[in-house]
Amino acid sequence: MKNSLLDYILRARLPVTIFIIIASFTLTYFASRAERDGVGYTPDQPINYSHKLHAGEMKIDCQYCHVAVEKSRHAMVPAVATCMNCHSVARKDKPDIIKLKEYYDEGKPLRWKRIHRVPDYAYFNHSVHVNKGIDCTACHGEITKMEKVGQMNSFTMGSCLNCHRNPHEKLPELKNVNLGPEYCSACHR
Amino acid sequence: MSQDKLESNENIKQPDSNYWRSFNELYNDPVFIENSKHEFYNGVTDGFSPNELSGLSRRKFLALLGASAALAGAGCADYRDKGEIIPYNQKPEEVTLGKPTYYASTCTGCSLSCGILIKTREGRPIKIDGNPDHPVNQGKICAKGQANILNLYDPERLSTPLRRNNLGYFDNISWEIADKEILNKLNQAGDKEIAIITNQITSPSGLKIIEEFKSKFSKVNVYTYDLFNNSIKDSAWAKSYGSGKFPLIQWDAAKVVLSLEGDFLGVDGNKIENARLFSQGRDIDAIEKFNRLYVVEGNMSLTGMNADYRMRLRPDAQYEFVMCLINELSKRGISSSIITSQYSLQDFAKRFSLPGKFLNHLVNDLIANRGKAIVYSGSTLPENVHIAVNYLNEILGNTSLYRKDSTIQQAMDLSLTDYLKNLISSLDDGKVAAVIHYDSNPAYHLPSDLNYRKALSKAGVVITLTVSENESSAISDYVLPIHHNFESWGDAKTRSGFYSLLQPVISPITDTRQKEGILLSWTGIAGSYDETLYHKYLLNNWEKNIYPGLNSKMSFQQFWNSALHDGIVLVDEKVNISTEFISSSLNELKPVNKYSDYVLVLKESFALGDGRFANNGFMQELPHPVSKVTWDNYAAISEQTSKELNVKNNDLIEVKSGNNKLNIPVFIQPGCADRMIEIELGYGREKAGVVGSSVGFNANSFIKSQFSVSPWIIEGVSVTKAGGTYNLVSTQEHHAFDIERVQDLHKKRHIIQEGTLETYKKNPKFIQDNRKHELESVYKPFPYDGVKWGMAIDMNKCIGCGECIVACNVENNVPIVGKDQVEKGREMHWLRVDRYYSGTINEPSVSTQIMLCQQCDQAPCENVCPVVATNHSPDGLNQMVYNRCVGTRYCSNNCPYKVRRFNYFNFRDHFRDGYQEQPLLALLNNPEVTVRSRGVMEKCTFCLQRISDARSDAIRENRPLKGSDVTTACQDSCSTNAIKFGDINDLESDFSKFRNHELGYYVLEELNVKPNVTYLARLRNTHSEEA
Repeated sequence: MKNSLLDYILRARLPVTIFIIIASFTLTYFASRAERDGVGYTPDQPINYSHKLHAGEMKIDCQYCHVAVEKSRHAMVPAVATCMNCHSVARKDKPDIIKLKEYYDEGKPLRWKRIHRVPDYAYFNHSVHVNKGIDCTACHGEITKMEKVGQMNSFTMGSCLNCHRNPHEKLPELKNVNLGPEYCSACHR
Repeated sequence: MSQDKLESNENIKQPDSNYWRSFNELYNDPVFIENSKHEFYNGVTDGFSPNELSGLSRRKFLALLGASAALAGAGCADYRDKGEIIPYNQKPEEVTLGKPTYYASTCTGCSLSCGILIKTREGRPIKIDGNPDHPVNQGKICAKGQANILNLYDPERLSTPLRRNNLGYFDNISWEIADKEILNKLNQAGDKEIAIITNQITSPSGLKIIEEFKSKFSKVNVYTYDLFNNSIKDSAWAKSYGSGKFPLIQWDAAKVVLSLEGDFLGVDGNKIENARLFSQGRDIDAIEKFNRLYVVEGNMSLTGMNADYRMRLRPDAQYEFVMCLINELSKRGISSSIITSQYSLQDFAKRFSLPGKFLNHLVNDLIANRGKAIVYSGSTLPENVHIAVNYLNEILGNTSLYRKDSTIQQAMDLSLTDYLKNLISSLDDGKVAAVIHYDSNPAYHLPSDLNYRKALSKAGVVITLTVSENESSAISDYVLPIHHNFESWGDAKTRSGFYSLLQPVISPITDTRQKEGILLSWTGIAGSYDETLYHKYLLNNWEKNIYPGLNSKMSFQQFWNSALHDGIVLVDEKVNISTEFISSSLNELKPVNKYSDYVLVLKESFALGDGRFANNGFMQELPHPVSKVTWDNYAAISEQTSKELNVKNNDLIEVKSGNNKLNIPVFIQPGCADRMIEIELGYGREKAGVVGSSVGFNANSFIKSQFSVSPWIIEGVSVTKAGGTYNLVSTQEHHAFDIERVQDLHKKRHIIQEGTLETYKKNPKFIQDNRKHELESVYKPFPYDGVKWGMAIDMNKCIGCGECIVACNVENNVPIVGKDQVEKGREMHWLRVDRYYSGTINEPSVSTQIMLCQQCDQAPCENVCPVVATNHSPDGLNQMVYNRCVGTRYCSNNCPYKVRRFNYFNFRDHFRDGYQEQPLLALLNNPEVTVRSRGVMEKCTFCLQRISDARSDAIRENRPLKGSDVTTACQDSCSTNAIKFGDINDLESDFSKFRNHELGYYVLEELNVKPNVTYLARLRNTHSEEA
């Protein structure tokens, strides 16, 4: 029987096409995974605030601004008034400080771009983690070296569990840390 | 062919020459006749060719449009964008994001003015609890008070002043215009009257403002009314004891309580306080203090459900019953009274076929417990009953149970009927320049024979101050929107010994004003209106008039701040209760022996009050504590009466009294007296908003200013079957009483386990004896090392009021589903109160049981979930993961307790066209609880968010989590403390005492699902021979 064109396609070209599709999908899937999880997301902010300068070089404590991190679910992004504690006198001539003062004087809200986010149905609690002695950098990366803050780690359920299951491996500096909870209602309610 | 010809021949027939459209037709022009057979003339499409059109068809164009829009959307959006974080510009000191702040205030839901604690998150109120420091309600608040938060966020609240235009519609106007125009009218009043119509005002400063208003304008009269009030009872007291008001009662000290038509646990008096005090006599740790409750009433009430002995008696026979009782007591040598000699208890019992055993026990108990018993008459009863009851308490020495520590102090008295009639006649004579409805709704409430609506049309100008639209605002010239409870400043005085304070917890949501401030700005003494106007006046009044009398050692500012923090100010006041019984008042006790055929009883609605809560979905959907009917009122009648009238449930009857008649559906109530109809008021509002309008039936018209004995008891009504039916919806049907198979099934299956006090005394382990031995299980027991959560429900204390349901709804973002969905059994309440009858239909005994997720250790729901959305936590909770649920409903099918609830719709969207999805109502949601959407199963998880919060607090403070760190919402709201919650593993705890109590049992224990909710069997304090 004579081979038809269809037979040729079925025998040679189709498997190759399917292989290429699957291979490129798999490759993209893994290669883009970090990006899909938001790792490396570093948006422009309305004020060019530098964590490197404030937290790194000037060694201002994280909790000077993120006041609720020990008390509450939320760490809290500081109010404009908190910035003005210093900047009502310090560096008043810099363009970003002038901009900041405008916000303050007009009572306008400062709309920061959100960088870290877990879904609404996950009730992450900053205070329990910080009070257990886990450093901010464990999730947020070396903030003190960032001119502009970006997301350094993945914030998926997998990455939460990764640490909850192996806290001693992930956080060797904490000697007495317990296993993190793994049951659903620890985070979902 | 021949057919065609025939037709064409017919068409060519000469047209009727009488009617012609043109000369051509008239003269039978053949071209015209040919054309008339076609739709279009020849050549109508000439010059039109589809090929000449553009190749882009409409379909293609739309597809292209959609595709480009999608492309544009995909191209522009940064898919990694996560929105914005907008911090405060200047953070208020007390706010920590994620942590609630509590403010003490006072509830204005009714005139009882209970103290409340408002929980706010990020500046918005999300939950109401009782103020624990408040002397009356002591940390508890009724269902209405809790649901009041829904009224704050009601999207239908008025937002600007309205003025009626010539066409009868309302225009939005500014406050400046409204103020100017109204002031003009008020100033022009001259010697004409300005009438202020209000419900009872409990605020001393608010009253002072009315006085200011009176002194500014020449002729101001204030009319006060309340649909349900104690006026009859108080006037009877004044006749019996010379002065004062009916005193408060030491329910906790009473060994025997006889309640005559008095629903003191339901709608009569302050039920929160009554229930708390009463339930202290139901303490299983102090069984020697157990009280015994006798109830004699027409229809089964919440109090009747809790009676040890209950007897049905139509309310118009109560007077004779009390007189017979007095006679019987005097026969037994208790008093030497001769006024009652013509009454005979035996005859009376025979005529009304009353159970002799009941009467025997009652008389014996009253005699044996002289000075430790109380006879209580409901406030709807006629005056002579109250006088007779006062006398009865007097001769039994029960007056020692009247409270001497506190008494009711009303800031203003209700207007007498004659006074209201004066208003109507002045209105009719055109002598009224202005009528101000001061946060009241007289068009709905005032007695129908006053014809208020008609008279109102002759008033110069009608101004209504109201939070949202109502019947009175609809017939007003100006409607001024006022602040809600939680946006207002204020004070309240209802009892001797303390003041309560109101403070705003949210700035006004819309352009509303404080009602006191509006009046104050009209008087002009303190300048024009701003938000601080009334606040300043209040401070000033307190500083000048109240603070000096308190002998406080603090400066006024310190005193005020601490008073606001506490919500109350305690004052030292002497209580004078007249104790000298005036025997001449017995002359009022004239013999009444005639009974009309049918008697109609009007009762305050448990859920809606006097109708103020009609637009509140939480209250509309709260099942009636006895009948379990939601979203409606009905005519409650006995089974015997239903047979006489030849009606079944849902059949309409016509109730007629004089000129008033009402068609209303019947709901047969076990334990209802024959030939009486009971209807709850507060329903049938015409203008209440999308939720409450036209829900139920308006029976207010039966209330008359001229009444024979009591406005709420109407004798001589005629009742007939009206034909037709109406669908009443209840969350629980009662089973047949006469079918042996289902009769008392709840007892046969040990769902309800009860005993008598005598049995318990003889054998404290009688419940445990009934329990099965430990059953084998195929599952390995899970070791619960840390805290294991459990609940214990003390059914001796639970009165079945259902207040916990509303608390749960507000705490857990439970949606309102509407009547049509309740009918299909889709109500979403995580917690329900099951009501079971046993005994006969005429003399039933009632058991209630709170039913919620039992958090079974071996939960049947968990095994069947295909996606493991419901599973067990190491602290013993049956967790429900909403984001994992796919909605197979297998779990619900497998749950023996039927406590799982499924979102058949996105009910927030489905109910009343997205009523609950409106942005304002989103503010009500608890941010710690997921808002569930369509297709998700949900249920109680013991207020998991509170457990998580307590756990994070424990971690922060570096201490172990204790069972007492967490209270559930239902527990917080329970006025009798029937619900206990804690750690099962902590055997030292207070909770453990209840968990392991000898009266404890599990529901459906034989299934071996190992529930974590323990029920403590109810002990009925009946006489031993019936044990």
